[in-house]
Amino acid sequence: MQDPRIRIAAAAVLSLAAFVSLHGAAAVFLWWLVFTPRLQLAKRIRLVFSLILMIALFSLVLELSGGSGISYFARMTVIVLIGMWIFSEQKSGEFLAIGVWLFGDRAGFELGMIAEMGMQSFAAVTAELDRIRMAEKIKGMQWEMRSLVPAGLVLVHGALARAEDTAELLAVRGYQHGGTLCPAFFTRPLDLIAGMFALAILIFSLIPVSEFFILYR
Amino acid sequence: MVKITLNRVSAVRDHWSLSASGTFNEGVHLVSGDIGSGKSTLAFMMAGLLPLSGGHIEKEEITTTMLSLQFPELHVTGLTVAEECASWGVDPDEILDAVRLAGKKEESPLSLSRGELKRLHLACVLAKNYDLLLLDEPFSSLDCEEKVKLCAHIGQKSQGITVIFTHEQNILPRVKQIWEIVDGMLVNCGTPPDAFTHWRHVPQLIERLTALGSRPENISLEDLREAVCRIQG
Repeated sequence: MQDPRIRIAAAAVLSLAAFVSLHGAAAVFLWWLVFTPRLQLAKRIRLVFSLILMIALFSLVLELSGGSGISYFARMTVIVLIGMWIFSEQKSGEFLAIGVWLFGDRAGFELGMIAEMGMQSFAAVTAELDRIRMAEKIKGMQWEMRSLVPAGLVLVHGALARAEDTAELLAVRGYQHGGTLCPAFFTRPLDLIAGMFALAILIFSLIPVSEFFILYR
Repeated sequence: MVKITLNRVSAVRDHWSLSASGTFNEGVHLVSGDIGSGKSTLAFMMAGLLPLSGGHIEKEEITTTMLSLQFPELHVTGLTVAEECASWGVDPDEILDAVRLAGKKEESPLSLSRGELKRLHLACVLAKNYDLLLLDEPFSSLDCEEKVKLCAHIGQKSQGITVIFTHEQNILPRVKQIWEIVDGMLVNCGTPPDAFTHWRHVPQLIERLTALGSRPENISLEDLREAVCRIQG
């Protein structure tokens, strides 16, 4: 999907649709199958498998304690798939463009810039995590729960150091607030179709399924 | 004899690629190249930590491999400096005395400056002998004095293969063979001093000395000093 405005709006409504009902989640899953590169995404974002595994664990606990764990698992997995899609499609500068398009050169620019920094930080943390795991392998250590504390400290330390560097850089360059940008977007017809389907799914997810099956009632 | 051979090894990412062929025998090797040329990627592949996009690597009589990453904090697994030393299987007291960090034994490794942490990390890595030692930018974050010490330490190594991946131009150890990454390809420049004629990343000082008719025998500071003395007579 080329247009980031439609992409982000679609991701928001699809996440909501998947969260509110199980049939909504099923429809979102179908949307994901039709409009995204699916498994190629999963190969690129390996973190997805660990996330789904973690959701499965929570769902199992929920199911065993009398809750609707299976429904929770299905809905959350679909939300993760949508998150994976939006993350992989995101290009540098898009949040800034959307921020300015939505809220103008001051608040929009700042919000967009914060979002861009967040994305950059996430990419850096993911890369660092890979390196940390390799470094542990070099030491002959197994990646286990005990590894999480030092690895987490290294990641937080790195993120704070990067944030400090960025803040200093902005201050040195005399940044105070806002900025100018002329956002340009390219919309393909398929983007509009996917967006409309996403909206339709949200409406469908908000309607109780039983309303469709009058005869059954 | 220990040996590692790269047979048409390649790494491919989006719009970037690296290919490497060649044999690294016992001794110290230098792999130079611009930032982003693929030095770290090659180091990871030689360590067996990154899947190859193509080709294969043959290792002979290499039973122990160590890769030192450019950023020492990524190696940290201990919550204190002493724990960090212990995680490398070395005696903390001995190492901390050697790197002048004895007073910081109970501190967090992340509270050390980048230079101190690099010093500590390299001391832990170099405390043991490995058949294949891969050092990714070992000179980064070190001051001149520490760089000279590190070169002296590497120069004393008599066993195994040591490969230094760096863009450092001034303080380097004496090496057996020079390699460089140019346009996504690993090139064997040969042994010094003959390698200097093909080496695109040749340090400026060596280039000037060669132009003045006093080509150094190797790339270490001692060799450069000797070449300078030859000019002065």
